[in-house]
Amino acid sequence: MINFYDLLRLMAILASLFLASISTALFAADVTDENTASTPETNYIEGLRQRELSDDDYLGDVPQVLTISRLAQSAADAPAATTVIDRETIRASGIVDLPEIFRLVPGFYVGVNAGYRYNSNHVVNYHGLSTAFAGNMQVMINGRSVYSPLFGGLKWSELPLAIDDIERIEITRGPNAASYGANSYFGVINILTQQTTEAGNTIIAKHGNGRNEAFYRHGGKINNLNVRVTAGYREDDGLNNRNDFKRTRLLNAQADYRIDNNNLLEFEFGIANGARADGESAKDSVLFIPRERDIINHYELIRWQHTFSADSDFKLQAFHSFDSTEDDFTSSNIRANAKKVFITSGRSNGQATAIVSTFLNDQVAINNDIKQERFDLEAQHTFKLMPNLRGVWGANARLDTTYAPYWLGNQKTEHFNLQRLFGHVEWRLNDQWLVNVGSMLEHNSFTGTDISPRASINFKLTPKHTIRLGVSTALRTPNYVEEKFNASVLIPLTTPNTTGIAYSFLAKGNVSPEKIVSTELGYLGDFGRLSIDARLFHDAISDYIKTTRDSKFVAPAGFLLLSSPPINAANGGDVNINGLESQLKWRLSNKTKLLLNYAYINIKANEKDTAGNITKSSPKHTISTLISQQLSPVWDASLAYYQTSKVNALGDGDQVGLIRRTDIRLARKFKLNRFDGEVSAAVQNLFDNNYQEFANYNTLNRRGVIDLKLNF
Amino acid sequence: MFYIDLIQLFTKRILQVLLLLLILIVALLVPNYAHAYTGVTVLMSADTMVNQEFIIHLKEELAGVKGNSLRVKVVDLQESDKLVIAENSELVIALGTKALSAASKLKHSTPVLGIFTPLPTFNSFLAESHRDLGNFSAIVLDQPYPRQMSLIKTILPEAKNLGVLLGASSSQYEELLKEVGEKNAFNVIAENINQEAELIPKLRLILDTTDALMAIPDTLIYSRETAQPILLTSYRYQKPVFGYSQSYVRAGALAAVYSSTKQLAKQAAEIAVKSQPTPGLLPPPQTPKYFSIALNLQVARALNIPLVDEKEIFKKMLEIEKSD
Repeated sequence: MINFYDLLRLMAILASLFLASISTALFAADVTDENTASTPETNYIEGLRQRELSDDDYLGDVPQVLTISRLAQSAADAPAATTVIDRETIRASGIVDLPEIFRLVPGFYVGVNAGYRYNSNHVVNYHGLSTAFAGNMQVMINGRSVYSPLFGGLKWSELPLAIDDIERIEITRGPNAASYGANSYFGVINILTQQTTEAGNTIIAKHGNGRNEAFYRHGGKINNLNVRVTAGYREDDGLNNRNDFKRTRLLNAQADYRIDNNNLLEFEFGIANGARADGESAKDSVLFIPRERDIINHYELIRWQHTFSADSDFKLQAFHSFDSTEDDFTSSNIRANAKKVFITSGRSNGQATAIVSTFLNDQVAINNDIKQERFDLEAQHTFKLMPNLRGVWGANARLDTTYAPYWLGNQKTEHFNLQRLFGHVEWRLNDQWLVNVGSMLEHNSFTGTDISPRASINFKLTPKHTIRLGVSTALRTPNYVEEKFNASVLIPLTTPNTTGIAYSFLAKGNVSPEKIVSTELGYLGDFGRLSIDARLFHDAISDYIKTTRDSKFVAPAGFLLLSSPPINAANGGDVNINGLESQLKWRLSNKTKLLLNYAYINIKANEKDTAGNITKSSPKHTISTLISQQLSPVWDASLAYYQTSKVNALGDGDQVGLIRRTDIRLARKFKLNRFDGEVSAAVQNLFDNNYQEFANYNTLNRRGVIDLKLNF
Repeated sequence: MFYIDLIQLFTKRILQVLLLLLILIVALLVPNYAHAYTGVTVLMSADTMVNQEFIIHLKEELAGVKGNSLRVKVVDLQESDKLVIAENSELVIALGTKALSAASKLKHSTPVLGIFTPLPTFNSFLAESHRDLGNFSAIVLDQPYPRQMSLIKTILPEAKNLGVLLGASSSQYEELLKEVGEKNAFNVIAENINQEAELIPKLRLILDTTDALMAIPDTLIYSRETAQPILLTSYRYQKPVFGYSQSYVRAGALAAVYSSTKQLAKQAAEIAVKSQPTPGLLPPPQTPKYFSIALNLQVARALNIPLVDEKEIFKKMLEIEKSD
């Protein structure tokens, strides 16, 4: 075990090495120390010394900032519904963990989950159909895909990211494979971090029920290199009565270097490690027993942006990411504890006793280590062909490697290759009509070659009112769970030539991708202080990848099947999801802001062909609202209310009832000499409704936190 | 007309002092410099495309004036170690601040007209050289605030709150900006920036409370280095930036008023011809008379701001300017 201070030192060394290497690589010249914060006196002198305006300030070139690729389509021109959560909304919401913010996006379901094998995380799910691992959404940070190839989805708490690093989050509601590739299935979450140019130092601390965190952020300049670094530590005790604490140390850095007006280099780096508690004796008292596992993950990214002209630019991005968990452990006494498991799985008391008596050892070793690595290269060219026609096209190659001896049933590192080619064109017929057409061609090691097109028409009734009609398709490539899992525990027996086998999964492979065709009719209205975004949607899913118990499974010769037949994945029937999503933003006054979301989601499917409870896998009605009020120049308060009707998520999910939850936050800004900052207090689940999220073992209580933010 | 422009740039008191000074100087000096200049020497800070363009247009403009006999001579500041100018018989048109700085050191009786120079810089050269306004003048790069605000009003008729970031050299215009804002039905909200680190936090404050940002030139605030954070932050707030140059619009500002080299050359030619008989009586420093507008349609679309035709906007602005 490495102690915390060693690690902190290691992270600091890594960070300085990283910064030093990029800066020395970029400058042959000596690297001067970054600008130290200056006292008021020197400012005055600086003010006097300020360079005079010259003709160059008016006539000289300025780097293209809002290049054609940076300029997203306005909501009224976009081919899909988008929700943008900005920094201010994140602040006002009083969230403690990042995934909670998605409660403010219509159609999303967020639940805390304290799982027990490899997952004690938030469930973030859009339009249902999801297990604890929401594998049907693409999640990116600054365009870097972070979903896991193993289970799909991601472990939010392990991202080397502090909430305060985030500038805004863009959520595409609906498939967007044409722009973001496969797995942009139900939607796409793109988290954008703050620019490197936010100079200064910030300390952020949080303390509350079962929660402590402290972060230090620094933004500065080393010659022409803008740098931003965040380092910190976060610990969370998790839910009461669950073994799900999380301790995370993290560091991330971003730097950019402008070579000239037309070329920009960007670097990103991050690392997180820590401990996770996993396992619940109530769920598994034999094999995946309560234990602590260590996690470490990091990423490195480099991006080159080149501007050809105002109408054409190019981006080349390469990144590597590594994610691992160390989880090598020994089971509990299998002789003592396995018997009741056999009985619950249908064996008689006599049979159970007989099996247990043949166990050679008292315990069995399980290697649940997981190592995943991703290499990704992407090129993208955005251009304007004609004044009313602009487009983007690009190519991407990715290699994912996975080492998961328990889950894959061998010691090999598996390789998964993916290549894609994508293109998208926006054609403005006139001021009223706009057409978006795009497509993606993908080839991957699991399912071969596929194509996913999309098209939409936007019609502006007036410049402020837009109707959108769109059809979009996407594919969800089976993940490792569905294609390659072979998870079992082998128990040596005293019976000659026989081994006991406890199966979890045995994927037979050859699963075709799940397909979605999503049709929508959207409306966007701008009434000055009030804006409305509403849409009716129909998602038609075919070849749903279902998981089934393989009841016909016969243990191979020399093996005795100890537990229930393994889980297998296969393509099943169709699922249809219909519904309505609406989002209302209203600036009631300059001091009062209201955000109101409502979604109605109705899932129709034959549960035999798909999954039991699939029709209940999303709440039918969700309401979320956030009201923020500026009380005085320094005081502000906000209130969030979330209401979610009953839901029965898939996988480990259970039926959980109607949720009504209220969060409040009160903040005061202050200024003290050269410091300024904010103190705030937030209470989540104000009325202490002890409700359940995701599964009935996750009970939420009231939670209070105090935050301090200090800038200097 | 010129005086109206000037009022927009100077406080009334300064104007009064300058006027008195001007009258005094003219009264004292005019008899000594009764002889007209016979040529124009264009002094370039460097041999750039913009400067070359200006010279071509200036020659064209002068050639278009009936009975005009002014020759045009070109001197590149970078090529000449020592400035040799027929100081008694030439009007010196200085292109760029470096050229103007060099020209300010010429004989005080040589009339100098600065082009491509920002007003604050002109003022500091004026103060440093102790020259008088009768033979030291300029067509400044700064567009009059009412003109810039009428552009904003034309593009965003519903905008009420207009944000400005002011630094050490631009903070002197705060009162003037507020005054002009009031006349154009804008509530001008200013944030003063004393050091670089304050830039983005104060920009966020402004973007939170205003409908648009109007860029006022100040080297502490607007530079090549700050273009990215300013334009990206504003874009993320979905608030348009109104720039003061074509390059800023290309970089990502929504629109700007600017004057082309041809327009500036035309105005300079007019001054050269008109002042020829009375070289010591150059008109006072003035803002550009002719102007153009630059729009970034891509940015307008991304911000969902409906832009009418560029010509329409320009026409409306001219109407507003005339009615003033």
